[in-house]
Amino acid sequence: MKLKHSLFTRRQFLNGLIGGWVGAFLASLVYPVVKFIFPPYKEPDEVILPLSDFQDMPPNSVKNFAWGSKLGLVKKNDDGTHFAFVGVCTHLDCNVAYMDDQRKFFCACHDGWYDENGINIGGPPPTPLRRLTLVITEEEMIVKKESPEETS
Amino acid sequence: MKKGLQTWLDERFGLSGITDFMTKKTVPLHKHTVWYYTGSAILLFFAIQVVTGFMLILYYKPTLEMANASVARIMTEIPLGWIIRSVHSWASSFMIAFVFVHLLSIWIAKSYRRPRELTWMSGVLLLFISLFFGFTGYLLPWDDLSFSATKVGTDIPRAIPVVGAWVTKLLRGGEDVTGDTLTRFFGIHVCMLPVFLFILLAVHIYLVQKQGMSLPLEAEDNQEKVKEIPFWPNFVFREMIVWLLLIGILFSVAIFFPPSLEKAADVMAPAPEGIKPEWYFLFLFQTLKIFPAHVLFVSGETLAVLLMLFAVVMFFFLPFFDNKPTGTKGKVITLLAYVFILYALIMSVWSLL
Repeated sequence: MKLKHSLFTRRQFLNGLIGGWVGAFLASLVYPVVKFIFPPYKEPDEVILPLSDFQDMPPNSVKNFAWGSKLGLVKKNDDGTHFAFVGVCTHLDCNVAYMDDQRKFFCACHDGWYDENGINIGGPPPTPLRRLTLVITEEEMIVKKESPEETS
Repeated sequence: MKKGLQTWLDERFGLSGITDFMTKKTVPLHKHTVWYYTGSAILLFFAIQVVTGFMLILYYKPTLEMANASVARIMTEIPLGWIIRSVHSWASSFMIAFVFVHLLSIWIAKSYRRPRELTWMSGVLLLFISLFFGFTGYLLPWDDLSFSATKVGTDIPRAIPVVGAWVTKLLRGGEDVTGDTLTRFFGIHVCMLPVFLFILLAVHIYLVQKQGMSLPLEAEDNQEKVKEIPFWPNFVFREMIVWLLLIGILFSVAIFFPPSLEKAADVMAPAPEGIKPEWYFLFLFQTLKIFPAHVLFVSGETLAVLLMLFAVVMFFFLPFFDNKPTGTKGKVITLLAYVFILYALIMSVWSLL
């Protein structure tokens, strides 16, 4: 049945109503499923490492630590200061290696290069390695989320 | 477009046989029609178990070291994880409750009689699989309670003469409940039981379709008067209303009463007080408890377990003990059903006191 000025029949209206309602109901069931499937990832705000692990590093070398589930790198510079990086290539997420003889970080996946300060200098990486802030206390090395520029 | 796809598929699968059957299928309407809904309610809860099980397995880790922590992670860290686990836990209870209702309704209505003996037997096997699902799933959170309950549960077969000790060892994957038991139960729960269940379910549903809905005794007396409604869409729509109600109840219960998680089981720790199995095992648990240590020359436990085994076998072969033609009442069998209900209720309540 269709009224004179109506755009659709009563049947179409009811079918649409029921269909929409069923759709909304199913969506309310699918939503929690989708939410559940993706585990939350929370980057650590800071990671505290014992300083003793890093004291005997020679200059111009790096040492690994766990930055959440990512590779973290502490690099000791020639002047004895330390830098901390997220050791993950900014191109496609591979872990990078430090080539101390060339004073460069190297990503083997797609031949990406960063200089000793983590600046991208060759290959596909679009941005520098992510720097983390290092605070060294008497016994601990505290790695913080912000980049050194933000803190200073 | 829709029509085209339908013909395309039909040419290849020959689906029209099935769809024709479904459109012609009817469901009798009488005062006991309500019991017909229990079958699809079980299917509904089983479907929910499959979906939530697929989800939980994304994070659950079936090892001694990780099991409890991974469930804790699901409960605390994973978005909406506590609801998913709660729904999985509650839907198992709902499913088994409906399995019992389904079975008792068929028992009392004598729907298992010729030609439906195999439908009954496949149904009894499905009941055992459902219970085994519950039993194996109960251990997986690996907390004190589930650990102790599994120790007790897997020790019960030991009372069976000759093969008992071997069955216990088979279930546990060794002499004791250990990490191997956990991994084994996990494999049974997510891999073996689903395969068996799907095969039996296919047989069960095929038989129900093949033989049509069974009519209760009084309806069969005056067969011409029984009204019928089409299965599709009339009956299915009525079923959907029931499903909707059940989903509402299930989710409400799941949200307000999520299952607990105690600290990880310590294999060396003494059993906690007040260990209990899931509610559907309580009457068996209590039966074992009340048997004296010795009855004449056998141990009470052996006697209790043998009696249970005997009851189970009788129950499985019920259609062959009660093979009267359809239409006869079978008062003793009906009485037995009510005795069973009463017994299970009293024992369950007693075990909680």
